[in-house]
Amino acid sequence: MADITPDRLEGSSAGAPDDNADAIASHNRKNRLGLGFWIPLAWLAVVVAAAVFADFLGLFPADEIDWMHINEGPNDAHILGTDHLGRDMLSRIIYGARVSLTVGFAAPLIGVGLGLVLGILAGYYKGWVDEVIGIAIDTWLAIPGLVILLLFSVVFGGSLGMVCLSLGLLFIPTAARITRAATLNHSNREFVLAARAMGASDFRILTVEVLPNIIWPLIAFVLIDIPIAIVIEGALSFLGLSVKAPTPSWGGVIAEGREHLEGSPHISLIPTAVMFMTVLSFNLVGDAIRKRLADVRDGAI
Amino acid sequence: MSEPLLTVENQRTAFATGRGLVRAVDGVSFTLERGRTLGVVGESGSGKSVLSRSIMRLLPPNARSSGEVRLGGRDLTAMSEKALRALRGPEISIVFQDPMTSLNPVMTIGAQIGEVLTRHLGMSRKAAKARSVELLASVGLPQPDVRVDQHPHQLSGGMRQRVAIAIAIACEPALLIADEPTTALDVTVQAEILDLLARQQAERNMAMILITHDMGVVAGRCDDVAVMYAGRIVEQASTEDLFRDTRMPYTSALLASIPRLDDPPHRKLEAIAGRPPDLIHPPAGCAFSPRCRYADDLCRSQPPALEDAGRGHRFACWRPMTMEAAE
Repeated sequence: MADITPDRLEGSSAGAPDDNADAIASHNRKNRLGLGFWIPLAWLAVVVAAAVFADFLGLFPADEIDWMHINEGPNDAHILGTDHLGRDMLSRIIYGARVSLTVGFAAPLIGVGLGLVLGILAGYYKGWVDEVIGIAIDTWLAIPGLVILLLFSVVFGGSLGMVCLSLGLLFIPTAARITRAATLNHSNREFVLAARAMGASDFRILTVEVLPNIIWPLIAFVLIDIPIAIVIEGALSFLGLSVKAPTPSWGGVIAEGREHLEGSPHISLIPTAVMFMTVLSFNLVGDAIRKRLADVRDGAI
Repeated sequence: MSEPLLTVENQRTAFATGRGLVRAVDGVSFTLERGRTLGVVGESGSGKSVLSRSIMRLLPPNARSSGEVRLGGRDLTAMSEKALRALRGPEISIVFQDPMTSLNPVMTIGAQIGEVLTRHLGMSRKAAKARSVELLASVGLPQPDVRVDQHPHQLSGGMRQRVAIAIAIACEPALLIADEPTTALDVTVQAEILDLLARQQAERNMAMILITHDMGVVAGRCDDVAVMYAGRIVEQASTEDLFRDTRMPYTSALLASIPRLDDPPHRKLEAIAGRPPDLIHPPAGCAFSPRCRYADDLCRSQPPALEDAGRGHRFACWRPMTMEAAE
């Protein structure tokens, strides 16, 4: 027994740090952002760059009709082919990306921005402010989203700004509820009382003390909403309720190609594929970032 | 004689709850001179912290407050929230119990001190940062120039409390309220923090209200001690008088419950039987009478008034003790 004890002690003391190091290493490996993050991010970078610099890419004008080359498949002159009016598909998809991306970013930001203001006021002041905002949000939720979108489209026509706004309004209730819950949680903390005790005003407390503490779940929410907004915009375009022709949009191009699916399926399929990849990329990148944010909050990083 | 720095006159604070009105502070009066220290001692729920928030006028919306709080001749109870904001920091400030929660987790130490300096003293960001480092050095935080850029989670509990003190004294307030500043800390750190408070107080000629449940904390560090029970001051005297000539049985019981170094080992710890009274339906007579071994019918039927027995020694008791009775 006297013989084995030191061995075992030695063994265990030598083994423990190694196990520990292994565990840390495997944790780090698991947390490393792999190809599942970088490839989608690269795709998004390409789409965003193309949309931003579309005017300098030497593309055919997106609305230039060419009756000599209609429904052409991909070829040397038109890399992605042409549609039923002979318009260049690559050009239409890149200019269409402008619409999709604008809506994708603007709508969640509008919704979360307004929801943030409502939620933080409700959570901080409680009482009647909370009641009024709560009732307003419940009322808003009782109206079907599609009705709101239709109404905006009919009343204001298909301007890009109105599409962003109407979609953004749909994101308000959830954003407001997330903000309210987080604000309730933080405005009772002692550091808020401490700030008041040092003479801070309500505005100051909300912006400097509370907001930085509740911003992460809202950023995560924006990341979730971006692909949702792009898909909804696509559906609206398909139904002709988004921006008006001839402005190209992904949903609109897909809808136009519907008539020619048998002869020229590329007109519908290419924008569908582009939209699919973009939405998938936003989801993958968003998931990775949200996981990172959760780790930061848990103190793992 | 000029007016004292702080005068609290018949302060009552109650909270509307589902069960009824909780009388957390029930008619408290005292005065505090510039540069002096008042210890406020009591059990949990005796109204100490509510009293401190009543003085700061930091009460939640469901609180009902009456009475008068005068600071440097101004009646705080009559002031607007805006006027109070200008006072909080430069005139009166507070150190809270738990430094884990009283600092903002997402702001750097420097930003939290600097915020107060820029708001009240109109300093530039740069000057505020330099002053923050000085303040951190003066509260004994090692490596203040490094710590100033760190976040609260990078500091230990004792260090955080030093930061909280640095914030509280940043604008040189005339009155500092320390609300159980050492309760959440290690025993070894407690003495350091109390010494730090005493040193800052002496250097800056601040008045201080030291709130604690620990008789041992007030013993060496306060000029006067007020003992609170069920929302009232039941005995108040200079520290020396209170310890030497205890009159109120509750104070005596608190003192007896401190274990002594020269006690034999395994001696049973003295405890006060019973629980603090329900503040929604307080007892008819003296609030301590249900737990008091000297209580008689008078104690149970009529509340005693807080009376001055000379040399500023006040107590509220029908059956005050003399030292012989205590022994």
